[in-house]
Amino acid sequence: MTEPMVEINDLHLSLVGGAGTVNILRGIDLQVARGETISIVGPSGAGKTTLLMALSGLESPSAGQVHVAGRDLTALGEDQLARFRRQHVGIVFQSFHLVPTMTALENVALPLEFAGRRDAREAARAALEKTGLAARLAHFPGELSGGEQQRVALARAFVNQPSLLLADEPTGNLDRETGDKVMDLLFDLQQKQGTTLVLVTHDASLADRCHRLIRMMDGRLAAPGEQAT
Amino acid sequence: MIKSVFFGQVLRLVRRELRSGLKGFGVFLACLFLGVFAISALGSFTASAKSGLLADAGALLGGDLELRLAHRELQAEQRRFLDARGSLSHVMTMRTMAADMAGDNRMLIELKAVDQAYPLYGELGILPAMELKQALAAEEDFGALVERGFLERLGVKVGDRVRVGEATFRVRGVLTAEPDRSVRAFTLGPRFLISQAGLAATELVKPGSLVNHRYRLKLPDREQVDNLRQELQIAFPEAGWRLRTWREAAPRVRFFLDRMNQNLTLIGLCALLVGGLGVAGAVRGYLAGKTFHIATMKCLGASGPLIFTAYLLQVLLLGLLGAAGGLVCGAAVPFLLAWLLGDRLPVPLAPSIHLEVLLVAALFGLLIALAFSLNALGIARRVPPGVLFRGYSPTGRTGPGKGIQAAIGLVVLALGLLAVLTSTDKQLALWFIAGAALCFALFRFAAAGVIRLSRALPSPPLPSLRLGLGNIHRRGSPAGSALFSLGLGLTALVVVVLVQANLDDLVTETVPQKAPAFFFLDIQGHQVADFAETAQSLPGVSKVERYPTLRGRITAIDGISVDEADIDPEVQWAVRGDRYLSYAGEMPPETMITSGNWWPTDYAGPPRISLTADVAKGFGIGVDDTLTVNVLGREITGTIASLREVDWSTLDLNFAIIFAPGTLEQAPQTHIASIHVPPAQEEEVYRVMTGKFPNVSAIGTREVLQNVSRTLERIGAAFRGMAAVALLTGFLVLAGAVSADQHRRIQDAVIFKICGATRWNILTAFAAEFLLLGIIAGLISALVGSLAAMGILKGLMDTSFRLHPGAILATLLVGIVLTLGLGLLGTWKALGHKPAELLRRE
Repeated sequence: MTEPMVEINDLHLSLVGGAGTVNILRGIDLQVARGETISIVGPSGAGKTTLLMALSGLESPSAGQVHVAGRDLTALGEDQLARFRRQHVGIVFQSFHLVPTMTALENVALPLEFAGRRDAREAARAALEKTGLAARLAHFPGELSGGEQQRVALARAFVNQPSLLLADEPTGNLDRETGDKVMDLLFDLQQKQGTTLVLVTHDASLADRCHRLIRMMDGRLAAPGEQAT
Repeated sequence: MIKSVFFGQVLRLVRRELRSGLKGFGVFLACLFLGVFAISALGSFTASAKSGLLADAGALLGGDLELRLAHRELQAEQRRFLDARGSLSHVMTMRTMAADMAGDNRMLIELKAVDQAYPLYGELGILPAMELKQALAAEEDFGALVERGFLERLGVKVGDRVRVGEATFRVRGVLTAEPDRSVRAFTLGPRFLISQAGLAATELVKPGSLVNHRYRLKLPDREQVDNLRQELQIAFPEAGWRLRTWREAAPRVRFFLDRMNQNLTLIGLCALLVGGLGVAGAVRGYLAGKTFHIATMKCLGASGPLIFTAYLLQVLLLGLLGAAGGLVCGAAVPFLLAWLLGDRLPVPLAPSIHLEVLLVAALFGLLIALAFSLNALGIARRVPPGVLFRGYSPTGRTGPGKGIQAAIGLVVLALGLLAVLTSTDKQLALWFIAGAALCFALFRFAAAGVIRLSRALPSPPLPSLRLGLGNIHRRGSPAGSALFSLGLGLTALVVVVLVQANLDDLVTETVPQKAPAFFFLDIQGHQVADFAETAQSLPGVSKVERYPTLRGRITAIDGISVDEADIDPEVQWAVRGDRYLSYAGEMPPETMITSGNWWPTDYAGPPRISLTADVAKGFGIGVDDTLTVNVLGREITGTIASLREVDWSTLDLNFAIIFAPGTLEQAPQTHIASIHVPPAQEEEVYRVMTGKFPNVSAIGTREVLQNVSRTLERIGAAFRGMAAVALLTGFLVLAGAVSADQHRRIQDAVIFKICGATRWNILTAFAAEFLLLGIIAGLISALVGSLAAMGILKGLMDTSFRLHPGAILATLLVGIVLTLGLGLLGTWKALGHKPAELLRRE
């Protein structure tokens, strides 16, 4: 039996704020196989984005274990996590999170540059061409439409050929038609590269495109293992 | 009606905007505060010092009117004329030597012999306290009051006896204050105050001795002094004296104060100009943060002019606030100095509020605030409401519009006009404006060049370096502001450091190698042969030069009275008082004649003069023109036979005016000599010569140069202080630029981390960016500063220029350390941010 891409055991995550401690994740257990696509749905405040951040190593759990690609993320330091991300993880956000003062090409080249790739720009150009933005290489985010910005973000997430792609409501800021195009692209790239996908979304139709749908409620998985159609 | 509605809206908007406090305006306020403070503090100090001088004018001059004569006393008729008009006091001064009773120690003193009427104004400070009459009275010895330095250097104490000339004096007390000498000017020795009877007993006053006679008159009504002056000029047109009224007291000090104020104000203005960049950065940053706010207001119907006026008013109000702080602190400086230092200040200070000084400083501050904020205000006025519909705000590519550009031009013009109009040296002010404009253009060009170059350079293999380089040319990068602000601040520092280092060189290095070790004054005619023989016989003496000397005053230039002649300020010194003159048959060695011919050695015709070329040029005369000189009350007009080039920096014995033989031989005169001897033998030469010729005054070049050096050091400290203000402003602007960029840096760092960057990657990327900026700013400043210093030294000061690599290297280091330090401080904060915190807020 092959090792799962993601394995989460009894994951707890609490944050201390002005109003006291808030338990955001309360004992999550989850396994995602390599190449599998899962969607996480649930009301706002259910802990979906926090789970995604824990999977990327951007948030440290209070208790429990997170294994991604065979690595125990809870045992890694900040810089080790950064190296792990550049090797294994791509992330797409609802609000794109592009560097506004960098061109599309520079944004996409970033992860490759941090990985020390000499061909960063060439690879970034190829990635942008795949997303249909060959003519927009030198454009700054402020000069691109929302759909184009998200396509740049997709190119940046896939350019390192990550084994795990985390997408946090990637169509949340886009209209239906543009959102559909972006998602078609995302699934297309995911299939071509065999990437494992964890998708957080409010959109039921989008969630249905994944192999598996997980519902979250109050920091817990409501119906684990439910198969998407 | 429409107007009042408009302004009502503007005021409402301003009130609401200001409700959120002054956040983001720290650098804006600090820059204006510092610049306005520097200018107002300087102006207030100078004005207070000048008021102090005027308030003390009577005491400073010693009377309401002073008549100065060299070598000779008033004639009986002249004395009667003056006695009839008020109280008259006669003071004689000369430089001579004093010795302890054993004759082991000798030193040069500034001797002052006073009469019973002295002082007409003010009081002497004497320790232990006693009456002047009692202190100077002749008992078994004459009494003397001396400055403390005299006791220390001669190794005597109060109550001891000392010798001056042929007389013995008992030191009765220490002189702590002289009312007619409260401005501590350059002196060659400590004061030695005696009675006129005491001076007569020294037998030092002989025909031709270098004695200055000062007659001071105290009038029943000092306002009548100008009338008396006219009366004197009519009654005694040929008297040859120099008249000064209380209104003209301490003219050199006032001239010096004006000059210092002018020069330091220009450096202060430089600080304010650098601060302008901080103003620009703060306003730009503030308005950039308001982009969506402005766009929203526009969507709701606010017009461009409404937005512009509201924010302009805010800038002006904040400008006033910053300037007011600077003005209050600047105005307090003279009060603070008077309170802290009091009598230790080199000039009397009459602290008061000088409104015109404060008005000028405030105007400078407000004009700078306007000049540097109009661009950003103009851009804000044109923010398109459409930005609300995009995810990112535009990065400021749009210009402010032609109207605003014209307004900026007008404000800059007003700034230039103000700088020229308030300057005592208009030419210097114009040079400054040209230099500042050139500097701004240069740094703008350099900043653009560096940004363009960083874009064009091939990508370095190191990702951090690549990112660092990329950050320089990235949109919204602080590279331009950083280069500008740090560069201008550092340039001011380089200029000041290099100018001072070169002036120090002039005094401490270049001169002593060639200069004579001693000058000897007041050698009497009968001592000349013995003096030369004794000097030549001493070990180590390589050269003895000697000239007969008299003192005379130039009264007319080519027949035109000096009061009416057009004289270049550079050579004004030549007509300011009595000058040493000489005569020679043979041409002095190493003389370079630039025009005309030297006379035959046995010349015996009508008076002829050899004049230095610089003086001739400043007087606007040449060969065959005439010069009239008053020597001991006699007017002598000589024809200029030749012009000479003289290198005064060698300190070789030379004279601006040398007469041909046959004119001055019969006048009472003394001789002046210089002796060249290595430092090791100086002490022996001093001991032998002052021992054998007690009436001859010896001046040690080394000591004089040390005095000059100390004075230069003090002046240099003032200049360095102002340069430090400029640099501090530059530092503030840089801090502002980095801080304005902080938010972007934090966001970038988060995205970098998401993309897999380690903290080291981020740190080295930002460090590379700031290191590059620091090096570039330092290099450009070193180059521009060196060129400016060279221009000042060679062009304005007509002296040599030497590059000081140490000073330049230090500047480079300061630039790098400042930029890197500040940049990394900001980066450190960015690194500390957890990505999740920022992402969660989205």
